[in-house]
Amino acid sequence: MRLVIDERRCKGCNLCTLVCPYRIFRPGTTANRRGVIVPELDRPERCANCRLQRLYGRTLCGVCQMICPDQAISWEEEGACEPVKVAIEY
Amino acid sequence: MTYADWFREDRLPHIYCVGCGNGTVINCTLSAVDQMGWEKEETVFVSGIGCSSRAPGYIVTDSLHTTHGRAIAFATGIKMANPDLRVIVFTGDGDLAAIGGNHFIHACRRNIDLTVVCMNNMIYGMTGGQGSPTTPPGALSTTTPYGSGEAAFDLCGLAAAAGANYVARYTSYHVKELTRAVRGGLENPGFSFIEALVQCPTNYGRRNKFRQVMDQIEYFKSHALLVQKADRMREEGKKIPDDMIIIGILARRNRPALGVRK
Amino acid sequence: MQGNTACAEGALAAGCRFFGGYPITPSTEVAEHMALKLPKTGGVFIQMEDEIASIAAVIGASWTGVRAMTATSGPGFSLMMENLGFAVITETPCVVVNIQRGGPSTGQPTMAAQGDMLQCRFGSHGDYSVIALSPASVQEMYDLTAEAFNLSDRFRVPVFVMADEIIGHMREKLVVPDTVPRQERKLLKKGDLPFRAGDDLVPGFPTFGKGYSVHVTGLTHDERGYPCATSPSVHEDLVNRLVDKVESARDAISSADIVNPDARVVFISYGAPSRAVQQVLHDTSRDDIGHLRLKLVWPFAESLLSRFPDAETFIVPELNLGQMAREIQRHTDRTVIPVPKLGGALHNPSDLAGLLEEVA
Repeated sequence: MRLVIDERRCKGCNLCTLVCPYRIFRPGTTANRRGVIVPELDRPERCANCRLQRLYGRTLCGVCQMICPDQAISWEEEGACEPVKVAIEY
Repeated sequence: MTYADWFREDRLPHIYCVGCGNGTVINCTLSAVDQMGWEKEETVFVSGIGCSSRAPGYIVTDSLHTTHGRAIAFATGIKMANPDLRVIVFTGDGDLAAIGGNHFIHACRRNIDLTVVCMNNMIYGMTGGQGSPTTPPGALSTTTPYGSGEAAFDLCGLAAAAGANYVARYTSYHVKELTRAVRGGLENPGFSFIEALVQCPTNYGRRNKFRQVMDQIEYFKSHALLVQKADRMREEGKKIPDDMIIIGILARRNRPALGVRK
Repeated sequence: MQGNTACAEGALAAGCRFFGGYPITPSTEVAEHMALKLPKTGGVFIQMEDEIASIAAVIGASWTGVRAMTATSGPGFSLMMENLGFAVITETPCVVVNIQRGGPSTGQPTMAAQGDMLQCRFGSHGDYSVIALSPASVQEMYDLTAEAFNLSDRFRVPVFVMADEIIGHMREKLVVPDTVPRQERKLLKKGDLPFRAGDDLVPGFPTFGKGYSVHVTGLTHDERGYPCATSPSVHEDLVNRLVDKVESARDAISSADIVNPDARVVFISYGAPSRAVQQVLHDTSRDDIGHLRLKLVWPFAESLLSRFPDAETFIVPELNLGQMAREIQRHTDRTVIPVPKLGGALHNPSDLAGLLEEVA
């Protein structure tokens, strides 16, 4: 599953950058068409929920989605993709 | 079904300011409702006036957005006339504790089977940041420009003293715990009161040294004290600083309740 | 039977199944009788913490589809005003019985008055229209209260039963009919927008708990029920419809007793003063005296005045300083003589007869 930020809803409060235990969000740098600086994703493959929620059949963390006041964070199905090597940080 | 299915998609994004905690509390409440497995047809959201009270308009169930402070009285009518409906009230600190204070304590006394979620941002947000009954002493607002000189209400203490069956307090930082607390309130028969402290960056934060949205969340995080730990500290004779926010399930009992589904 | 008890009995016969109230003289007997009888009919009686909460609970209950009412008097009626405006804009059927007493403020709790006639019409803020009935006997306390529920469900407006302390506390013979006519609320068709009205200007009712997923708000709302508080046209259309749905039916729903349509001098009355007028007509030997007794006061149907084509003078005795006389004057170029009376005592028929001699 892939995490997506809905740019039509995000108002740029950056709360997701504060709560994510994997630190996959970082404050954005450029304003979008609505003038909102949407956070950027930083190596989202580190997020356990993104990788494993399908396997476990439930939401594993989801704190970013719950705290997002604007209901802008969700997960969507990923299409076929190139395998990437994931460096696990301890 | 997930909590996202409970939103009235055609009305999003909502009117709340950047970083407003109300959206978070809606997420947590809907998540708890969704976990209960309730049907949309049997669930009714009621609210009064204020930022918090716009919430039912974004939820795809029957909902009643009423007059200032009277949400609990309207909800009482709904619940008594049709106990099969699950009635949840969204309210704010001004709505609940100031203009609606009488309805609040009487609903606690009746112990009517409602779940009241109070988004306490410690200020009147919608009207531009006036002091409310929960504005902490010393805090600045447009009507307390020299710092609030009045004591603030302890809403949970009030609810517990007035007889509510279930009382809990969390903040918009504690999303998982808040969801669990709301769920506890939904499960518990009788009057359930969940106070959720929320940040108001626009009207409270920027006047009270929380310039960024995150600053107030950091404050909630660092000043939250679980009730069990607070009790232990008291037993040990340690002093709890005045600015700590006691969080947790503060009351859970089983007094006879009114309007319980037959 | 006492007027207040008859009122409660009329409500029960009409199928009222929810009463939210707060004790206030001189209306308490309505609440007491409902508290006694409602639980036995499967209904709910709840004594709320104040009148604001009472009307709020009634409106809430009405949204679950039951017939709901409250009863109060002057001070409580004033407290209800904000939520009555809410009932108007959300188009919630509800019945409010006001056993009027002397005001302003606490005034004369045990004395009769008709001082709330304009308040019931204009008391809440903004433009709107409502329906008000005024019983003049114990029998009418029963009949008109039952009728109030039908009107309320038909037009989706608050309907007021504007009685007074005299009628409320009077004891008379009551004939209880086997059944009272009942007109049910028109329900919303699935798929229709909840606040889109047809030709009758009254949208179908989306009862809570039936899967309509309706958002009901006191904000100005569009036909979906969604708040739309800054669009001038949406607000204009909504308020115009709320007013027109009642006002366009004012001749159709008007209800009055007409005595001697050929009269030159006509008494116009409603509520308790009607009884003094009836006594005058009973005692007089003249045949040029008429009587228009309004049972439905608001919306005032001016066509009733033209039912007296030869009338030169209208005499309007009221237990206030001429609240309805002002409304009547607005609709006619014939002479309107208000006969105000304050203090709680009814007009003395001999005084009215004396006035009659002076006028014509």
